[in-house]
Parts: sequence; structure tokens; C-alpha cells
Amino acid sequence: MSIHNKLKPSKDAPYPDTFDHKRWRECMKNPHDVGGELDVPMQYEEKEEEQWELNTYVICECLAWRGIWNAEERRRRQNVDFGNSNYLALPYYGRWLITAARIIVDKQLVTLTELVNKQEEVRKRYE
Amino acid sequence: MAEKHNHDHNHAPMVEEISDFEVLEIAVRELCIEKGLFTIDDHRQFTEYAHNIGPLPAARLVAKAWLDPEFKKLALEDGVKASLEVGIDWITSPPTDFGTPSDYCDLRILEDTATTKHVVVCTLCSCYPRPILGHSPEWYRTPNYRRRIVRWPRDVLSEFGVNLPEGVNVRVEDSNQKCRFMVMPMRPEGTEGWTEEQLTEIVTRDCMLGVALPHPDRKHNAKRPIHKAINPVHGH
Amino acid sequence: MNRSHHADKATGVGDPQCFKGEAGPAKFKAGDRVRVKDLPDIFYTRTMQYCRNVVCEVVIATHESPAAEDEAWDNCDNPEWFYIVRFKQQDLWPEYPDTYSNDTLQTELSERWLELV
Repeated sequence: MSIHNKLKPSKDAPYPDTFDHKRWRECMKNPHDVGGELDVPMQYEEKEEEQWELNTYVICECLAWRGIWNAEERRRRQNVDFGNSNYLALPYYGRWLITAARIIVDKQLVTLTELVNKQEEVRKRYE
Repeated sequence: MAEKHNHDHNHAPMVEEISDFEVLEIAVRELCIEKGLFTIDDHRQFTEYAHNIGPLPAARLVAKAWLDPEFKKLALEDGVKASLEVGIDWITSPPTDFGTPSDYCDLRILEDTATTKHVVVCTLCSCYPRPILGHSPEWYRTPNYRRRIVRWPRDVLSEFGVNLPEGVNVRVEDSNQKCRFMVMPMRPEGTEGWTEEQLTEIVTRDCMLGVALPHPDRKHNAKRPIHKAINPVHGH
Repeated sequence: MNRSHHADKATGVGDPQCFKGEAGPAKFKAGDRVRVKDLPDIFYTRTMQYCRNVVCEVVIATHESPAAEDEAWDNCDNPEWFYIVRFKQQDLWPEYPDTYSNDTLQTELSERWLELV
């Protein structure tokens, strides 16, 4: 007997006719819009700031200061464009940093090649 | 994760490990400077500004308002103008001369009364009145706080140790646009005859977020665990 | 790429002060009862889902600024008025207890998101 008769229906990308308005709303909900979602009590902590985190905050503000973007563009990219999975999976300042890297590439101020080469160059300094 | 910091210093020093974040940060900063997006001096100036902000000016603003009804009226009508009197110019204190890009220039002060207790959040990110209050605490940025405080404010306040007497209503301020907010808590009993300096000392950051009530015996935020950094901010 | 357009406009003036006068008259005033519209929020919004379709009261008109949905793409030519609005918590959350029926929540929304009831 062919194996295809034994395979269950795919749970892969959904067919559009199975994608109702409720599902549309769920997918379109901006990742940053968490107010009122269910959650449980958690120990709230302070955090000692990493040097790279402070540097990242300053990079982002300097990019806005010098007109590469404004803070609202940053928030849109940093808090929504990532998509829900990465929004929840990445550290807070990790998103700031990756967003800063992304804007300079997106606006063709730096090529991705240059960014990759620079990362390699930096890593080599620590070998 | 932090294993390398436990190594025995009598051995030859280990090669400095560097994280993916640190590599990317250096790469981005150097490229930005090389391409003239901002200067090394811009970065230094803004870093200096970031080091110099903190909650003291906001605490002094509250203390002043407690002592001077006219100033209190100004503070509630025009937070930016009132900030000037504690040395904070929302427009020109930051090196940009047009405000900080992320904090803008529209501070609003929320007055707690006998019947209304305020608490502040930014459910969408972590918007915070940095120029007058300094940097936000880690917990304020968490999805957990942002999810829960708007819907179960009394539960969350209770976890912070704030249990409100009957007749006090809670008002949550979700700061989701350009306005920035701080709470002016009520002046506590037991502070009669205190100077502005004495009052300033008991207005903590947590009081001005609305998750703590000022008390004559409390000069610090409630103790909570501090997650240590691997390579913390140095040089200041 | 014109990098100085915001600095040119806002230096010494501040943001949102730099947009003052550009939105025309405010449509709403303190005390107005308004409903939050449920506009499509594809790609970006700063109007939380928890307040869509809920009736609230205008507390104050705060300032003029491009709507976040526009500013996030640097489309700053059409500022609108922003308002702090106040909700009863019981109107936002189905399980909010009667014991605390006077609890409220305030947030800031731009004019396009509101309609008079």
C-alpha cells in the first residue's frame, strides 16, 4: 500500500479558506500589544546594565539625534517588525541592538557585506 | 554562562570571551562612526548625559510641590515648566537641543489624592520620563508587568506591598504616546516641619511610578534581587 | 537622505512642540464621551486592542503630533491632536470586580481613533 494513504493531513502553512477573521486578528495583533494578556506573578528584579547595553541605547539615540531615524520608527521596527516569536525570545536590549544594525543596512548606509565583515574583524580581535 | 569569572587568578588569564551582542554592538558603533552617521563625540556626549540622569530632580519636584501650593499648581498644569525649577530642561538639557529622541518634551504629573492612587506603565514598550527620573528599572520593561498592571492593578500593587485602604480608587496610566508621566504621591504622616531636603530623601523612584508609598522611614526602593551583568558599565 | 529635517524643525523648540498649530482645531474636548474605533492595525499601531470599541471620556487634549502609525515611517506631514482618555476598568475587563467599580485607566490616543457617541 502507498505510504501516502497512511500520512495524516499536513499541519503546515494553513490554507487561506481555513483562515477566518478571528485567526487574521490573532496574526495581525502587534507583538508589543501585551496589555491585559494573561500572566502570573513573577519575582520582579533590578538588573545591572551591561556596557554593551548602555552603548546600544546611546547608539539608538545618536542615530535619531543625527536624523537617521526617529524614535517611533525604532519602536515599530524593534517592538513589532520582529514578529511575535522573536519579540518574546530576544533580550530587551538585544532587540534594540539588532534593530540598530537593521536600520543602517535597510537605509543602505552600510551594506550587509560591510556589517558581516566588521563583525568578523571584531571577533578576530578577541581571538 | 558566567563561568569565566570564577576562574582562579593564579592561572594564566583566559582569553576574553565576547558575546554575540558585544560583537554586534562594537561593529554597529564603529560602522556608524566610519560612515559619518554620528561622531565618536556624539556618542560620548550622549553617554555622559545618560550617566547624569537619575530620580533626584523628580523627587525634589515632589518635595517642592508638597511644601508650596503654588508650585504644586504649576507642576500639575505644566510639567515641563515645573521641571525647569529642579534644573531639568526637557528641550535643552539633552545634547540634542530638541529633547531626547525617545522621551520627548511633554511631562505630565499625576497627583495622588485621598481617593485616587496612580500607577504608571507603558504596555507597548517601556516609555519612561528619563530626563527627570533616570533609567527605568528592569521589571518595568518586562512583558509580565506590562500585561498585568493594566488589568489586575491591585494584585500587582499588593505584590509590591501596596495595599490601599477602602475608598481609594486606582487609576492606571498607560503611557503609550509622547506624553511622559510621573506620580506625585501624597505627603505621608510624620513629616510635619520637614525641610525640602528631608522630604526629597523619602520620595523614591518607586513612589514616583506609583508602586510604593512614601514613608518617613524609607529612603530607598524596596530591596529586590539584582541580576548581575557579565561586563557591567564601567568608568563612572 | 535629508537627515536634518527634524533637527531643523525642533531645535530649541522640542517635540511635540514643533508640531504646534499644524493639526487645525481639535475635534474633541474635555468631557466628551467617545468610542475607540477598531481600525485595521496591520503593521503598526499604538492603540491597544484592549480598548478597541470601548467608550471612554476625554480628559484633555495634550498636543499635536503625527500619528504613531505615520511617524513610524517618517510621514510627518499630517499631525493630528492627541487626547488622554479615561476608561472605567469595568468597561475594559469582564472580570473586574464590582468592589472596585470606581477604578479607572487612562491612556493617550490620536484623533483618528476616536468618535463621538
